[in-house]
Amino acid sequence: MRDEVVRAIGIPGEAKDAPPHHPAKAKRVIHICLCGGFSQLDTFDYKPELAKLHGKPLGGSEKPDVFFGQIGLLRKNDWEFKQRGKSGLWISELFPHIAGVADELTVIRSMVAESSSHTPATLHENSGFRLNGFPNLGSWLSYGMGNETDELPAYVVLPDSRGLPAGGTNNWSNGFLPAQHQGVMFQSKGPVISDLFPAREISGDVEAASRELQAKLNQLDLEARGGEGELAARMKAYELAAKMQLAVPRVTDLSGETADTQKLYGIDQDATKDFGRSCLLARRLLEQGVRFVQLFSGGSFGSPRINWDGHEDVKENHTREAKLIDQPVAALVKDLRQRGLLDDTLVLFTSEFGRTPFTQSSADVVGTGRDHNQYGFSVWLAGAGLKHGLAYGSTDDIGWKAVEHRTAWHDFHATVLHLLGIDHTRLTYYHNGIQRRLTNVHGEVVEGILA
Amino acid sequence: MRIASVATFFVLAVLGGMQASLVLAADPDFDRTIAPILASRCMDCHNSGAEKKGGLDLSQVKSAEAGGDSGKVLAPGKLEESLLWERIAKGEMPPKRPLPENERAAIKAWISAGAKWGTSPIDPYRYSTATRAGYDWWSLQKLVRPEVPRIEVKDADWKKNPIDPFVLAKLQARGLVPSPKADRGTLIRRLHFDLIGLPPSPEEVEAFTKDESPDAYSQLVQKLLDSPHYGERWGRHWLDVAHFGESDGFEYDRMRPNAWRYRDWVIEALNRDLSYDEFARLQIAGDVLRPGDPAAVTATGFLVGGAHDSLLPKGDVMQKIMRQDELEDIVAIVGQTFLGVTVNCARCHDHKFDPIKQTDYYRLASALAGVRRGERSLPPQGAPVELADRREKLRNSLAAMEEPVRAAILTEREAAAKKMPAPPKAYAHWDFDGDLKDDAGRLNGEAKETARLEKGELFLDGKSGYVSTAPLPADIKEKTLEAWVRLSNLEQRGGGVITIQSLDGSYFDSIVFAEKEPQQWLAGSNFFARTQSFEGPKEVQAKDRPVHVAIVYSADGTITGYRDGLPYGKPYKSSGPLVFKAKESQIVFGMRHGPPGGNKHLAGAIERANFYERALTPEEVAASAGVASRHISEEELAGRLEPAQRDQRKKLLSEITDLSQQLARFSEPKVFACTPQQPGEVTSLLIRGNPQAKGEPIAAAGLSVLTTSGSEFGLAPDAPEGERRKRMAQWIASDKNPLFARTIVNRVWQYHFGRGLVDTSNDIGFSGGPPTHPELLDWLASELILQKWSLKELHRTIVLSATWQQASLPRKEAVALDADNRLLWRYSPRRLEAEAIRDAMLSITGQLNPAVGGPSYKDFRPFEHKSAQFYEPQDFVGPEFNRRSVYRMWARGGKNPLLDTFDCPDPSTATPKRGATTTPLQALSLLNNSFTLRMADDLAERVKREAGDDQSKQIARAIELAYGRSATDLEISASLSLVEKHGLAPFCRVLLNTNAFLYVH
Repeated sequence: MRDEVVRAIGIPGEAKDAPPHHPAKAKRVIHICLCGGFSQLDTFDYKPELAKLHGKPLGGSEKPDVFFGQIGLLRKNDWEFKQRGKSGLWISELFPHIAGVADELTVIRSMVAESSSHTPATLHENSGFRLNGFPNLGSWLSYGMGNETDELPAYVVLPDSRGLPAGGTNNWSNGFLPAQHQGVMFQSKGPVISDLFPAREISGDVEAASRELQAKLNQLDLEARGGEGELAARMKAYELAAKMQLAVPRVTDLSGETADTQKLYGIDQDATKDFGRSCLLARRLLEQGVRFVQLFSGGSFGSPRINWDGHEDVKENHTREAKLIDQPVAALVKDLRQRGLLDDTLVLFTSEFGRTPFTQSSADVVGTGRDHNQYGFSVWLAGAGLKHGLAYGSTDDIGWKAVEHRTAWHDFHATVLHLLGIDHTRLTYYHNGIQRRLTNVHGEVVEGILA
Repeated sequence: MRIASVATFFVLAVLGGMQASLVLAADPDFDRTIAPILASRCMDCHNSGAEKKGGLDLSQVKSAEAGGDSGKVLAPGKLEESLLWERIAKGEMPPKRPLPENERAAIKAWISAGAKWGTSPIDPYRYSTATRAGYDWWSLQKLVRPEVPRIEVKDADWKKNPIDPFVLAKLQARGLVPSPKADRGTLIRRLHFDLIGLPPSPEEVEAFTKDESPDAYSQLVQKLLDSPHYGERWGRHWLDVAHFGESDGFEYDRMRPNAWRYRDWVIEALNRDLSYDEFARLQIAGDVLRPGDPAAVTATGFLVGGAHDSLLPKGDVMQKIMRQDELEDIVAIVGQTFLGVTVNCARCHDHKFDPIKQTDYYRLASALAGVRRGERSLPPQGAPVELADRREKLRNSLAAMEEPVRAAILTEREAAAKKMPAPPKAYAHWDFDGDLKDDAGRLNGEAKETARLEKGELFLDGKSGYVSTAPLPADIKEKTLEAWVRLSNLEQRGGGVITIQSLDGSYFDSIVFAEKEPQQWLAGSNFFARTQSFEGPKEVQAKDRPVHVAIVYSADGTITGYRDGLPYGKPYKSSGPLVFKAKESQIVFGMRHGPPGGNKHLAGAIERANFYERALTPEEVAASAGVASRHISEEELAGRLEPAQRDQRKKLLSEITDLSQQLARFSEPKVFACTPQQPGEVTSLLIRGNPQAKGEPIAAAGLSVLTTSGSEFGLAPDAPEGERRKRMAQWIASDKNPLFARTIVNRVWQYHFGRGLVDTSNDIGFSGGPPTHPELLDWLASELILQKWSLKELHRTIVLSATWQQASLPRKEAVALDADNRLLWRYSPRRLEAEAIRDAMLSITGQLNPAVGGPSYKDFRPFEHKSAQFYEPQDFVGPEFNRRSVYRMWARGGKNPLLDTFDCPDPSTATPKRGATTTPLQALSLLNNSFTLRMADDLAERVKREAGDDQSKQIARAIELAYGRSATDLEISASLSLVEKHGLAPFCRVLLNTNAFLYVH
């Protein structure tokens, strides 16, 4: 009980005292989560064969089980691919800035998902389960590793400035883990964290006198209650809250960053300023010891689109979305590298699934949109403990299904945990009959991408 | 870092003394020691099934002795010649996870002693082991009422209540003594929060502390158990377990505006102390057990409280997986809530820790397979008679005015009907006499799957049969669908009669039976884009004769339904008629839309059908149906009335509408509850849980391990849906089911003490660990049954015990021995739960709106964004929002930030026990949230009103209200300077943030 309380309020040093299962390569994570499913065929999975088959039917006897049930003709990539950097990694023109950091990236081109419906697939991508109510990667890390700072939450969420992803705050639920492990949303408008400061103005004098009296009354109570540990812990929590009130405005104030840095992240341009601010803030949070920062690119679904869900026209959709994030994401990787942070930080760049090589249209038409593809898609990682400039695994000739080194989300999660020094089978929490894991009963570490 | 420790697991299991330990004998007992090792370590691969790796089957004596592809594996008495031992000794088997030392030693001893076999084939569940429970696991055993321990008790207080000797015996065994009784002031505050979740008023505290009558305490208990707030408090506990939410979750997170009725049912049932067995039965099958009783139907809200993904992908594979995921959630909630077992863990394989086979999961799944979420109408309840009377009178006046005019019009029409207009000419007509041809020759049909022609009708089996036609040669905008149809049964939901659709089925308009509401005709469309209820009468005749049904889609978007040639319900305006493109569209019969499968197929027969490329008029529909139209338009009617009559009529209509709206609140209210699918589908075992790998059909039944309560239902796999749930309800909520009573007494104990006798109240199987006081748990269970399942009697027994009334002060010597208070040497102090904090603030400020029941208040601003529902938290001000927190709308995406930080659970997950964390974010919410600040102001106002101008008195009053006890001099003097300088409100804010307010001792 006592122990739980101590953990709950994040006594400083808890994380570094905690024994990892094996030496950790990384200490903290930034997860850039692209909502809607970006097209692997137009970004990281170069398929010359698909270009040759442009306008042909899919062929074969299998009727694809796609979300909207329409199977048009095959369509080639809409952006040219080039080999990049020293590694020669293939990256398309859609992401010119990210292409510039190709040698930092570890691309997995053989991801498979369990669902082709956005929300179950996104839940799976983040929590290992297709259902509501399970803790996310960030919550698991907060629970398993604690936090390196007691002034900021362990798991911070930075949503897209256009709106929350579908499901809203359910996306960073702690599930059945204790409440302190839920993601804390930093809002770009209004108060950064809800209730960080009084809902109405209270003068400094009143605030100080109030805290003092509160401490006094609590002390009297504590003495009358025989020094009950939990009561002392709550008194401590109020001290930490006061520190947080100082730390949050400090960390979110970007004005101290140099003009060059701001420019690097694209804060000087309309298109990139919002995501650029989020990326820069993410770096600052990590520097302060936050364990897990999650950035969302894209809001909820429906029409008109404000995420990567290019059913109607991938070219139009991805052009718009990529413009918002390409430079900031590349800046983040560069900045982390130049500050030495990338040596023990992981950057994850994922979406819940990819898109089909055939278009979402009538059977005899080359349409402009692509449907959801759970059978093969790409994600990338960057940072500690990885082979850089690597493309791992592959899909078939047309980029539809993963064929070599098929990698499921559970494998991906197992690998991330592994890099953080955690054996994914041993990070568990008892809930309703089961020692629950992020990886359910699955997951193999993807050894092939480890340095 | 919190990492599961296998070692701890082991120690606990052995300490519990519940299962055979692996203490080694020279010749180990095969059934007890060796069989469990073979079963848990080897038989996943080396079994009699398809796996049988290396040709070796270790599940039975003959095959084990015969060996595998590498020859014999066992040489009795000769360790070194036994291949089995060799592979184990080298650590090659089992692969990845070598056997622990003690198990290795056991195998070694067994082979050395002659490798004697016991029961064959091996029954892995015969005995509990160090790693899992067998048939002999404590919670599965028949319930036998234990003797109350006879021990020497000095303190008279510890002699009265049977709970106490059980507790005392354990304490004495560890050399501990209990704590003294808590003082009266502490007790009344504790009891209030425990039973009703609200603090006592200072006046109640004073009266109780001064009450010298010997039964003052038991009187107080009685008063609180009788309070309507009792159901609110304990109902909230139950809603946690039921993972009750008022929106769908997932992408759309749609609101469930009528889900609150279930919450009210729970509160009301607890308040009137509905016996727990009936409480359970109604939640599983109330609609079947008592179909005419609105309360019983409402109770099934339990089954449907979980999250639901309303966005269905086209792909059949994905749909099936989603369906199985959802079914697992329902099986889980029933198993964990009522039986304390995690049956859901056996969806893909036999349970890893409990003697629950995979077939057991599908037996329960079969019983629950018909459960569907949805709105259903409740049987009408008593509306105020005067309202209905008044409407009746007004209607009569209206009729008296209109009837003569109507009669005149109809007479004229009938005269004209003798020269009845010829039926309108159809664009396509099918009479199904021997072929599927369109008489006009355009849209000839083709039978698919089981569709067949029989006696001049198109016969459809409701499972896979349908007919599709050639593509339409022209674009279609306005349209009319028409058919004469007989239904095989009136319970079916969602089958299409005649449909116009895009060739792939993604866009369609269709005459659909009962998809949204039972027994109603409906204009079905893709994602209900153009669908609303006609609010027509229930179909009751279509089983006995073909009825004529038509739907007209007009250019302005109006959609009008007809039945037997007459208007069906009310027309409504849709987003407009969808244009179906030439060559890309077709007509389909017997299926709502393509692709085939699911509930889209109609069970019945179509006699003939028409399709028109335009919107027919009412007269044309009537002519086609062969009846004189009885439809009289407004203009026609008004045109024949005198001006004065017209005014009078307008007034009458307006009053009737008003009364109808008032009555609508009473008659046929809607509830979000179980809307079972009829007929029940046949459940098959799914191999490794894969919906594509169907095994044998499984009939509904209980857990096979519970032989004492007769777990067979005697039902066939295709038994009617309601029958299955009914039998399940009766099997679960029975005196003979030992899990049922044990689970609930442990749950109730947990809420009283903060911790169950078994720690995990949703799991009294192996993973839950053994109970701290097994005999006490069984005594409570048998007592509950003796007391006719009265939960209030159970509460009374518990809170009247000396154990529960102990003081909470920590004692050094006891902390050293039992820091966690597992042996109950004191009352563990507890932080108030989120709702209790909020409710207590409202209560002490005098702002609490005590209204019981009714629709939920919404402390958020709901908005739709791109078809998904969002909920933006708001702190609204007003009495409506000052109701108890149990009445807030529990939308999954609409958490209340204040409640949320204080461990209010995510309603998507079942929460048998709340977290009780201590975090800086809680401090921030409580200090700064606009609600707390307002409460502080309100408390200050109240105190000024009640204590006058003297600041010391004001402080004393505020403390009295917040802490439920008098202020000390020290507290008053410490507080004076803040109040003098900055006023009362800041002081009240401080109080609401102090531990003396937040904790119960």
